[in-house]
Amino acid sequence: MRENQGTSESRLLRGVHRTLTGLHPALESLLAALVGMAVGAILMRIWGYNPWKAYAALFRGAYGSAFGRASSLARGVPLVFTAMTFAICMRAGMFNIGAEGQVFLGAAAAITVAFFHLPPGLHLIVGLVFAMIAGAAWSIGPALLKVTRGVHEVISTIMFNWIARFLVFFLVVNVLVDPRRAEKTLSIPVSARFPVLVSRTDLSYSIFLAIAFALVIYFVLWHTVVGYEIRAAGLNPTAARYGGINSKRTILLSFILGGIGAGLAGASIVMGQPPTYAMFSGLPMITNTGFDGMAVAMVGRNHPIGILVAAVFFGGLTAGGRTMQIFASTPLEVVRVVTGVIVITMAIPELLRIFPRIKGELVKILALIRKLHQKRASQSEESP
Amino acid sequence: MKRILTLLAVVLLGISLVGMIGLGNGKVALVLDVGGRGDLSFNDMGFWGAARAAEDFGLEVVDVSSATPADYLPNIQATSASGEYDLIIGVGFLLGDAMNAVAPNYPDQKYAAIDVDTFTANQPNIMNLVFKEEQMSALVGALGAMAAAHHGYRYVGAVLGMEIPVLFHFEAGYRFGMDWGLQKYMEHEGLAEKPEVGLLSVYTGSFDNIALGKSTTEAQLAQGAIAVYNVAGPLGIGDLEAITEYHLNARTETGPPYYFGVDANQDWMGFGMHTLASGMKLVDVAVYKAIESVVNGTFVGGSNVFELSNGGVKISKAKDLLDSIEAGLKGKRIEYADQYTIIENWAENRNTVPAWIWEAVDELEAAILDGSIVVPTANTTGEINAIRDKYPLL
Amino acid sequence: MDISQIGSILIITLHAMVPICLTAVGEIIGETAGLFNIGLEGILLTSAFTGVLGAKAGGAVVGLLVGMGTGAIISLIFSVINTYWKGNQMITGIGINLFALGFVAFGLIVLGSPGFHPVPPEGRLVAIRTPWGRLSPIIFVTLIVPFVAHWFLNRTRAGLILKATGESPEAADVAGIRVNLVRLLATTFGGILAGLAGAYISVSWIGSVTKQISAGRGFISLATVVFSGLNPLLALLGAFVFGLFESIAIWIRNLPAARMIPWQFVAMIPYVVTLLVVSGAIGRVRFPKSLGKPYIRE
Repeated sequence: MRENQGTSESRLLRGVHRTLTGLHPALESLLAALVGMAVGAILMRIWGYNPWKAYAALFRGAYGSAFGRASSLARGVPLVFTAMTFAICMRAGMFNIGAEGQVFLGAAAAITVAFFHLPPGLHLIVGLVFAMIAGAAWSIGPALLKVTRGVHEVISTIMFNWIARFLVFFLVVNVLVDPRRAEKTLSIPVSARFPVLVSRTDLSYSIFLAIAFALVIYFVLWHTVVGYEIRAAGLNPTAARYGGINSKRTILLSFILGGIGAGLAGASIVMGQPPTYAMFSGLPMITNTGFDGMAVAMVGRNHPIGILVAAVFFGGLTAGGRTMQIFASTPLEVVRVVTGVIVITMAIPELLRIFPRIKGELVKILALIRKLHQKRASQSEESP
Repeated sequence: MKRILTLLAVVLLGISLVGMIGLGNGKVALVLDVGGRGDLSFNDMGFWGAARAAEDFGLEVVDVSSATPADYLPNIQATSASGEYDLIIGVGFLLGDAMNAVAPNYPDQKYAAIDVDTFTANQPNIMNLVFKEEQMSALVGALGAMAAAHHGYRYVGAVLGMEIPVLFHFEAGYRFGMDWGLQKYMEHEGLAEKPEVGLLSVYTGSFDNIALGKSTTEAQLAQGAIAVYNVAGPLGIGDLEAITEYHLNARTETGPPYYFGVDANQDWMGFGMHTLASGMKLVDVAVYKAIESVVNGTFVGGSNVFELSNGGVKISKAKDLLDSIEAGLKGKRIEYADQYTIIENWAENRNTVPAWIWEAVDELEAAILDGSIVVPTANTTGEINAIRDKYPLL
Repeated sequence: MDISQIGSILIITLHAMVPICLTAVGEIIGETAGLFNIGLEGILLTSAFTGVLGAKAGGAVVGLLVGMGTGAIISLIFSVINTYWKGNQMITGIGINLFALGFVAFGLIVLGSPGFHPVPPEGRLVAIRTPWGRLSPIIFVTLIVPFVAHWFLNRTRAGLILKATGESPEAADVAGIRVNLVRLLATTFGGILAGLAGAYISVSWIGSVTKQISAGRGFISLATVVFSGLNPLLALLGAFVFGLFESIAIWIRNLPAARMIPWQFVAMIPYVVTLLVVSGAIGRVRFPKSLGKPYIRE
């Protein structure tokens, strides 16, 4: 009997060990999240806020109610797309920070469906296709500049972001404008909207598109030749070149795939976010979607599945930041501080070193539990 | 009656909802747009009005910022669902859609929306607080144009924020006022045609880039503008900074170039030396009145227009300066010792514009008040383009 | 357009040039040693904020020093992560930018004036009068720094060591150079210049700090570095050209006749020009071989 227990426990230990090793990346993300929140807490403490109260309000607001959970998921939807934009290029060894501008263009392209009528469903699909084309088209510029002129993508995408911003400013006010309300564009007609999934919240069916997109990218990256080439180029560019992989093609492909994602992010906002289903002058609705996506991608380890999880987390931070502000009177800017520190922490590969120590502690704790168990077992044997 | 029944039900159920009972100690939520507090414009003035009402009526005010516009709906939804608030005020046009979407679900919840009109007007529990910004902007424009003609300047300037209907009101009024002022100047001086004074104006596309406000103003001054009208909230800090530096560099204290303040009375800023007048849009008064109507039980949904005739908008006068100094002393924005300097500087600066021009501005004000002059306004891109064509002010 | 108007455009240009040039020269020093810091935007923003705090406490010079100190601290964190801990430079930089956005916005709320915070008149750096407008003294510093940096990089032993570290850290290591330490010092020095640039924006140029006062200048500096090909003198030229196009764009947008061209297209000019210049310049530019890669001794 006791013998049996012992083996099951050692099996458990081995299992824990294996899981910990396998989950290194996930645990690393978790640790980064904890470090980020700790720094946020210290800053709140220094500046006279109560971090416990704030975090309690944040997590209660984010995940503590059906409304909160729906809100958190809704916040996460566009971030999944833009995180994929960053992640795909990251897998190919490039830093594409152009998602921001591509989101603008994608959203603007989606709005154009307001100019014509189509049956429901088809209307929505046409809008999505427009957004994908626009996002991809805007990503081709930096890709071509890199391929032909060797311009670093960080520089070109930053400039393309600015240009896209002003271009869409122009489109919003002069082309897509609502003739009755000049502060916004035409609204996406009902036939082209994602229906709301949970009533009285802003969570719409666009969440399924986000999940599907992540799965498609997962399939492309890990189960197709193109994906293999992209990943090979990122892992070892020199070897990939000698292995006969056309680096120009991988650059173009990963940018275009990313652009499609960013375009869909724009579409998911204007087609799937009540109540306005339009863009406002000055683009307040979609600004920062691209940049926030980068944080999601990093915490998600540039892996589609990881990104889905990370998007729920960051969506929760944003949604919960709101309740934190209402119920704990703590400014929601704290959330951005936390995000920043999480990202900085994620940059440190040495984080891994801490894990053996954590594992050691876990082993100790398990041993302690076993000892207590044995003690109690022996006591119960003695007592009758 | 309905309220009493609700209360009874609540008491019977034994649920304590003390905060909600007696309006004497109720709660008001102020939902702000992404600009948040500190914009010296809608958001801040909205907060000041609410804070004053809170003090007078013993209420609690909670201000809710929004990180992104995606938060508007959840913010209004959350504050409505909590049921704790006697009034939920949305500050800024961006919140209109969200309020419109949520309000029908909470028919007993009262709402007030600033700068939101037309599309929520049919909602019985939303009080729309809108302003005729074109009226006071016309007065400011007339003043600027006549002063420019008098001092021999080629242009009057304006630095605007984003292209939204509220700002179209400002621009339309400003253009109309300038044109009226030039006509007036021509008649007064017995000229054969209107003096050549044009409008330098730019939409910066921003309500937060103060550096852009400053460099735009610097450029406008160099291009020959006598004054710059701030129609972009916080950018005015940069505008005034540029004008102050211009004077420091020229070793002048008062006189042109001038600054035209916006929303709040900004005449006191910079020791009162450079602000010739402010186009005041009293968001705080509107918020105060909305809260007051809830306290008094006179709340009605629908459009509430604030204009010259009811003091909702105005061009700043001596009394407004004294009021703002008093508020500034209380809020510690102004040092006690400085108040007389400010008043002296302000009077001296105003004297650099001849008395007849001030009288002409009063004349225009009177004509708007008695309805003999209707200042045109614009809500759409088409309408503002028509006004630009009518008053090109090259 | 007469001479005084040209003078005014020049003055606006020079003021806009300062933060871009200082930041770019700092980044050139860091990149020469092999570290690529895209967190410059965050450094500018944070030091503009702390610069105001310093200026309020002890005057303009203290404000500038505090800003430089802030730049040094952030860069130190950045470079420790990316030298001794072999971190990812891009990710660290992005993190710094995100952190700065939150930190400054939060700090402004704590100061009690959310949105913006002014520098009191006595905390402003004294400016120099000219017939066309006031000039910040930092402009003269900015005109000197690139020359000093150029001399340092090309004419001193330390400059050679820096280049060796960026070009071939392995060889430098064999030659007895402590690669990580050199990189850390170079990047920290670059951060000090970025910090000065940030504090200049608030303490000398604008006179207040806002949530997003850096407004993309850190990223423009990065583009300027690419254009310069790590030559500080060309960085000065690049920053001047960008400032010039920015002020010309502002100038054109003001004019009533410019209504024919939508302002958004005029506002694009500086970015389009930067893009064109960078893609035109890139052919001749060579960057250090190990730029952006951590040095791992094998």
